[in-house]
Amino acid sequence: MSGGVLGVALRRIGVSLPLVFLVSVLVFVVLRLIPADPVAMSVPPNATRAEIEALRAEMGLTLPIHEQFWIWFAKAAGADFGKSIAFAQPVSRLIGQALPATIELVVVAAVFATIIGLAGGLLMYRVAGGRGEAASDLASTLIMSIPEFLWAIFFILLFGVALNILPFTGRLDAGITVGRITGFLLVDTLIQGRFGAFLNALSHLLLPSMSLALGTAPLLMRVLRSSLMEVGNEDYMMMARLRGFSERRVLVHHAFKNAFLPTLNLMGVQFSFLFGGTLLVEVIYSYPGLGSLMVQAVANTDLPVIQGVALVYAVAVLLINLGVDLAALMLNPKLRIAK
Amino acid sequence: MSKRNNGITRRSFVATTAAGATALALPGNVLAQAKDSLVMAWPIDPPTFDPIIRTNPGIQSIYKMIFDQPVTQQPDLKVIPAVVKAWKVSEDGKTIDLEFRDDVLWHDGKKLTTADFRYTYVERKEKGHKSDLASVFRNLTDVKVESPTKCQMILSQPMPTVIQWMTFLANYIVPKHYVEEVGPEKFAEKPIGSGPYKLVSYERNSRIVLEAFDKYWGPKPTIKKITILIMKDPSARVAAIQSGQADWVPEVPIREVERLGKVAGLTAEILPITRVIMLQIRSDRAFADQNVRLAAHHAIDKAALSRALYGGKAVPLSVVATPGTPGFVEGFNFPYDPKKAQELLAKAGFSPSKPLQIGMASFNGVFPGDYDIARAIAQMWKRIGIEAKIDVIEQPKYFELNRGNQLPEATLYSWDNATGDPEMFAGYLLHPKLPFSAWKDEKIGGEIMKLFAVVNYDERIKGYKEVNVKAASEGAVMPLLQSVMTFVYKKGLKTVNYANGWNLPQYWSWS
Repeated sequence: MSGGVLGVALRRIGVSLPLVFLVSVLVFVVLRLIPADPVAMSVPPNATRAEIEALRAEMGLTLPIHEQFWIWFAKAAGADFGKSIAFAQPVSRLIGQALPATIELVVVAAVFATIIGLAGGLLMYRVAGGRGEAASDLASTLIMSIPEFLWAIFFILLFGVALNILPFTGRLDAGITVGRITGFLLVDTLIQGRFGAFLNALSHLLLPSMSLALGTAPLLMRVLRSSLMEVGNEDYMMMARLRGFSERRVLVHHAFKNAFLPTLNLMGVQFSFLFGGTLLVEVIYSYPGLGSLMVQAVANTDLPVIQGVALVYAVAVLLINLGVDLAALMLNPKLRIAK
Repeated sequence: MSKRNNGITRRSFVATTAAGATALALPGNVLAQAKDSLVMAWPIDPPTFDPIIRTNPGIQSIYKMIFDQPVTQQPDLKVIPAVVKAWKVSEDGKTIDLEFRDDVLWHDGKKLTTADFRYTYVERKEKGHKSDLASVFRNLTDVKVESPTKCQMILSQPMPTVIQWMTFLANYIVPKHYVEEVGPEKFAEKPIGSGPYKLVSYERNSRIVLEAFDKYWGPKPTIKKITILIMKDPSARVAAIQSGQADWVPEVPIREVERLGKVAGLTAEILPITRVIMLQIRSDRAFADQNVRLAAHHAIDKAALSRALYGGKAVPLSVVATPGTPGFVEGFNFPYDPKKAQELLAKAGFSPSKPLQIGMASFNGVFPGDYDIARAIAQMWKRIGIEAKIDVIEQPKYFELNRGNQLPEATLYSWDNATGDPEMFAGYLLHPKLPFSAWKDEKIGGEIMKLFAVVNYDERIKGYKEVNVKAASEGAVMPLLQSVMTFVYKKGLKTVNYANGWNLPQYWSWS
């Protein structure tokens, strides 16, 4: 990494840290202000009111909010998010168990979204002005207007029930067990040399990742097409055509390279949204990631877990954006000079 | 791999998915289930595998596969011996002699003894292990171990339902040697029990794999391997049974049960269980007047609610107890009578032209049909002159409102009681000092509180029957329906239906 890029990276990290702090303040305060009683949720039916009050005090919920926050934040800075009310386990352990599954899902979804988005954008550009333009516009609008959870249900009904060719629950078939090494199943199966289990894990990822990807891909298609159309009239494009290059070569080697950067910036934003999309998709597919954990925590008003997962989401979004910014810097020398 | 479904052409398949090609080459699938294994879908994931920590009704069946309770219940809820083969409660209700079986083994082969029982019920609390069990048995001062198979529980106050509680939530014996060896957190992740199945693997929010314990002291399970898929979404559970990815799914929407019951190869059931759907009532505000409360109760057509929302399978209730349980009062009927309702409301000065405004809280999606019931009741009330403003709340908010005595006049609620004992029905719901009671008036509440100290079983049950009738007659609670559980499963699976909704595959088989 060049010095310029490193400097930008450090500056971005410097800006991100206060953002993480602000997010944590916001999440903490909002959770404390909602009218909900997390303690009474987890007591036996013959518990006395005195016992509930004692438990609330023991959990620190009777302290002023700012005191509660500083106690929590000081521990969270050391990756100690406290103990879950519902699970009676350290939050960091729960997050550690669920995070790899979500990262795996988001990465595969991002790959699908990139492939579909870029291929679709190139296709839309190719058919622009022709008979296929209206159809491609309609298709991308249709895909974009359907939310992830509806795609999830549709895919289950189509591929899981009607065609009955793809699994739609969990990360592996009922008969397959894989020892945990990294938590990333695709990696663990390969490390253990279990190619069959690898394919099985991949098959379980297809439907949830496609559901997520289809929420992102149409925007990439449209931005790429617009960018291609912008660069299509540039002088260098005309020169390439005059030199007798095929239209495909002009498109891929000249137009695409220059039109890709705006798409890359959008990818950063969209891939951040993929994390948010996991909430419902993971529940629908019984996929054991952060989204499922978060939904379960919200149902139980498990404040420590909600705070911990929200913070992880915030950090993930910032890291993705940082990664995309760095990629843009590396791909576009003009940005480095400008910086 | 060949195409599995008729009517799907190769062309349409290729057109709809390229991804499918990868899957078609995949090895192993869940469709082919052997006759000694079972794939179950489950709507709730156990928050912990330490079974004494939480009193969550939805996961008791999973705990009962792995752990033993001191005593247990028959399908008709009669309490029967289990690990404890005999018991005797003293006349003052403060000491309970227990005799244990001597052939019960933990999954690691060590013997279960009264020391494990003492550790579970007394020592863990002393060591600071937080648990709901410790809270339930707050009056248990000691367990005196006389021998590996005999011990005596000592209570500071009588606990008339002590035996019923030992079949209920959080009452599971845990292995002292193992918890001490690995610590409570590790135990909660990878437990061993003495139940009919061993936990083989667990992935939170995804699946639980169990294997039959061949040295189990009780009847050996014929189904040797259980895979429990955690599927919280009802449509995913429906898809799972339709696609064959699960053999048994519970809590399927009523309409889907009716549809799936007609699908070849599937059996669908709607079973009433010991769960009561009711309106919790405040004793003050607009409901301070008994005429108003009774008018509101008489205006509800419970049979119509059952027909519209539960296929007519949910039994209308007049008391807070389900048919067949000890506190149920045969012959007592609180009738649907809109004319009488209007008359009673008129006495309080209200009518359709001069309606009474009240608040009503309801969940939406916590139990089947909850919000629909609330809306239907609001419509029924409107006809007689009560206008209810429905406020949809979540469970945490319910507890917050209840804690602050801020619930509205009526709250739609569902109450589970696997024991069937009336203390766990009317007792907890009308005891003004317990957290689940919305009713704060100490007249009926005082009678309930007295019953908490009545040790004689017959006297206690008689008392609860009287209070049940009184509570309904005075409008302290409005019991609505006996709730139902729904199941869909593959034909050939022989299940055993428990009146409390337990689903225990250790007693199931494939034909």
